Amino acid sequence: MSSRIEILNDGGFRSDGRLPSELRSLAFDLSPQAGADGSAMVSHGLTQVLVSVFGPREAKSRAQTMHNRAALNVEVSVAPFSTSDRRRRGRGDKRVQEIVAMIKSTFEPVVQTALYPRSQIDIFVHVLQQDGGVLQASINATTLALTAAGVPLLDLVCAITAGVHSTSPDSPLLDLTTLEENDCPSVTVAVMPRSGKLTLVSLETRVHVDVFKGILEVVGEAGKVLSLEMKRAVLARTKMLKDAMGAGLRTAEFAEDAGGDE
Amino acid sequence: MATISLSKSEKAYIQSSLKASSSLRADGRRPHDYRGIALETGVAPLANGSARLNIGKTNHEQSGGTEVLAATKLEVEDIENGDGVEGGRIVCSVSCSPSAYPHVSYAALDDLQYDYTTLVQDILAHPSLHPPNLSILRGKKSWLLALDLVVLSDSGNIYDALFMAARAALWDTKVPRTRSVEYRANGSRPAGGNDMDVDQEKQSALDTRQVKTATDFELEDYWDEGEPLGGRDKWPVCITLNLFPPLYYLDAALQEEAATPLRLLLMFSFKSQAPASLQGMRLMGTDDIDLSLVSGLIKEGEKHAGELFVAINAKLKEEDIRRTEKARRRFAAVR
Amino acid sequence: MITFTSFPVAPDPYLARNDDAADYLPDSDYMDVDLEEESDAGSSKLTCPGESITSSHAFMRGHGTYVENEEVISSVAGLIERVNKLVTVRALRTRYNPEVGDLVVGRITEVQPRRWKVDANSRQDAVLMLSSVNLPGGVQRRKLESDELQMRNFFEEGDLLVAEVQAFFADGAMSLHTRSLKYGKLRNGQLVTVPPILVRRLKSHFYTLPCGVDLILGLNGYIWVSKHVKENEQEGEEGFDAEAVYSNKNDEIDEATRTAISRVTNIIRVLATHSIPLTDTLLLEAYEWAIEADVDLKDLLQEDIGDALIAAVTNR
Repeated sequence: MSSRIEILNDGGFRSDGRLPSELRSLAFDLSPQAGADGSAMVSHGLTQVLVSVFGPREAKSRAQTMHNRAALNVEVSVAPFSTSDRRRRGRGDKRVQEIVAMIKSTFEPVVQTALYPRSQIDIFVHVLQQDGGVLQASINATTLALTAAGVPLLDLVCAITAGVHSTSPDSPLLDLTTLEENDCPSVTVAVMPRSGKLTLVSLETRVHVDVFKGILEVVGEAGKVLSLEMKRAVLARTKMLKDAMGAGLRTAEFAEDAGGDE
Repeated sequence: MATISLSKSEKAYIQSSLKASSSLRADGRRPHDYRGIALETGVAPLANGSARLNIGKTNHEQSGGTEVLAATKLEVEDIENGDGVEGGRIVCSVSCSPSAYPHVSYAALDDLQYDYTTLVQDILAHPSLHPPNLSILRGKKSWLLALDLVVLSDSGNIYDALFMAARAALWDTKVPRTRSVEYRANGSRPAGGNDMDVDQEKQSALDTRQVKTATDFELEDYWDEGEPLGGRDKWPVCITLNLFPPLYYLDAALQEEAATPLRLLLMFSFKSQAPASLQGMRLMGTDDIDLSLVSGLIKEGEKHAGELFVAINAKLKEEDIRRTEKARRRFAAVR
Repeated sequence: MITFTSFPVAPDPYLARNDDAADYLPDSDYMDVDLEEESDAGSSKLTCPGESITSSHAFMRGHGTYVENEEVISSVAGLIERVNKLVTVRALRTRYNPEVGDLVVGRITEVQPRRWKVDANSRQDAVLMLSSVNLPGGVQRRKLESDELQMRNFFEEGDLLVAEVQAFFADGAMSLHTRSLKYGKLRNGQLVTVPPILVRRLKSHFYTLPCGVDLILGLNGYIWVSKHVKENEQEGEEGFDAEAVYSNKNDEIDEATRTAISRVTNIIRVLATHSIPLTDTLLLEAYEWAIEADVDLKDLLQEDIGDALIAAVTNR
């Protein structure tokens, strides 16, 4: 087989040919799935996540309802064939529970839950393929699915992973693959583009404080780029719906004056 | 499956339409018509074989349909020290996404998953269907074939969908070619492994003398996906007959399932040059049926299963061609 | 008959990037939309969550927006609508937003003491109070204890009904009533579900198509397609026959009517898949087209025939 893969080679290129601050290919698909109110399939390179949103709707269990706002319910299922080593992760798996908790805390301050007392908003995350940046893809897909479902948000939430390699601490790597995540300290950051506020910062390894500052700067820029792409996707879909409805509306307007009958 | 809520009059309407001489269904189908089935193989590149199936979604803007993702992964198992079984083994699992059953509690969802899993496991892991090429080294190593199915949405006829997706993923599965290997220490102990000579011998199943010396295996070619899983013609298809005895209809939508108290699941396997064999049968529901009607229904089921078998094979071959073409075009472009 | 196809491919939304660039927001933040210029719905601007629309000094904020730092900011993806000084953003796909007086079709989910819970495709289940339904023996009859114990004689779990939104509870749940003779339990037909936004508020939501099919367009996206019931067969105020009104038995329905019901159901599905708002005239045109084109009932759901139907109906 090949020799050990270099994370960053002498030319400054990463193992997949990217520059340190280059993102992987993005794909956003907002077509409806499975009877959900809104769904989104997001791919960052080879990482693919599908999120379906149901709600706001009547809460399934009275215990979960809050009298003054909606409850956010997040479920994550990781397909056993999503990684090169097959691994079945049940609902109670610790790693899965961590992702659930992080997604929930990312979106609690962003979704305007106060508008829907006693309701429930279900967010079902399906990780179909993993190659690094699973949390990042999940958060981006959740944002798009919530938008597609018409759930009011204070802003879009754009997430990105970033790390540093010891050979070049001054140029952080963005949008890490599994290979890079295993080798470098990495942080996942979720940013709201309008205000620049962060709703999630998740670091599980050790990084020097000065290096961390550098990472945060780059991440802010990346967030802006991501948010533009996400907005494009959302607006394209909204336009498509508007055009489709508009065609019917124009026809209906002529007929409306004739009046419907009982 | 989890039935939806229908009013008594809705159920009566569906039943009377089906039992009428013209047998009209809610969407205009005839009793033996299936909804359009979309099938694609090779959807999970990290798996050894995969497929995606959707019954009933004809337009990308339309949500729903019954969608199942299936993928197979091959793992090496140790026969002496681990769970490995001589000749390899098959393990199936079905998981249901909460988005498929949004009104069902999590406990009930677990029960549903367990039901589907046991059914698929019992049928597909049966010795009569066991593929011949799951062995690596006699008595030492074998393949574990893990088939994982994910139900993404259910709008009726989930059992047929599960077995079709399983068949497609198993058809698509490639088993990596292996070669047995014998290590001979050259004087010093093989602790660091630097002094080992590797002696390669092609394993012949008929040559029992050499079996004892082969201790390990290697892949013939790292980049080759492998040979197709053996016996892939035998994987069964399932036909669900929804019953108003003696009438039956196929491919029920969700509302039709809720209005039909009895159904018969039949799994048929078609080996070439042999008559069809019935691999499994389940009667499900709250009603009962006269025993005398059952054999007639099995014959009818076999007929429809045959049609389904021919149709799905044609589509699988089409998919193989499409993907080969796609790969060829990509390589040509690179050059 | 069994046919295998390939997965439908979504049209690439990025291809639309080049035209109608004015509908897309420019890369830099933009404030102070010149809303004075907007006159008709055709030139509505699109927006996304987090986009700044205008200054909050000049305009009041409505649904789909919030105010921060003296700016009105959108919270959903949709069309910006301006009525005098009020700015709202209307989402193009959202759960049903009820208003008093709306006509809805709902399904009973629970029977509770003196009330029923009704699923109406909204953010919470609606409530139908026992005091809001017609009781046998006359409209003005007083409620008795026995009524409370026999609620399932009227509506039980799974029943479909058509009702009107009477009021809202403090937490926003709808309170329904079926006090008119047009409302009540539904039978003799089947239900179709479409996105609620495609059902527009019109003068009436009860339609009869000439093929003998009755339509009830619930504003919550639940549509009931059934056999036509003649006016004079409906009950009068006196001699209110509870047996008939709360009965679960369907009438005799002949094959022609059943075929018509299925055809109308398929047409509604096709229109909904293409996001065309539903009105009775549109449905009638579509139905006539389907008859003239002699399309087989089940083929209506095929993609190419569906496209032909849409083209025929929207080009008029």
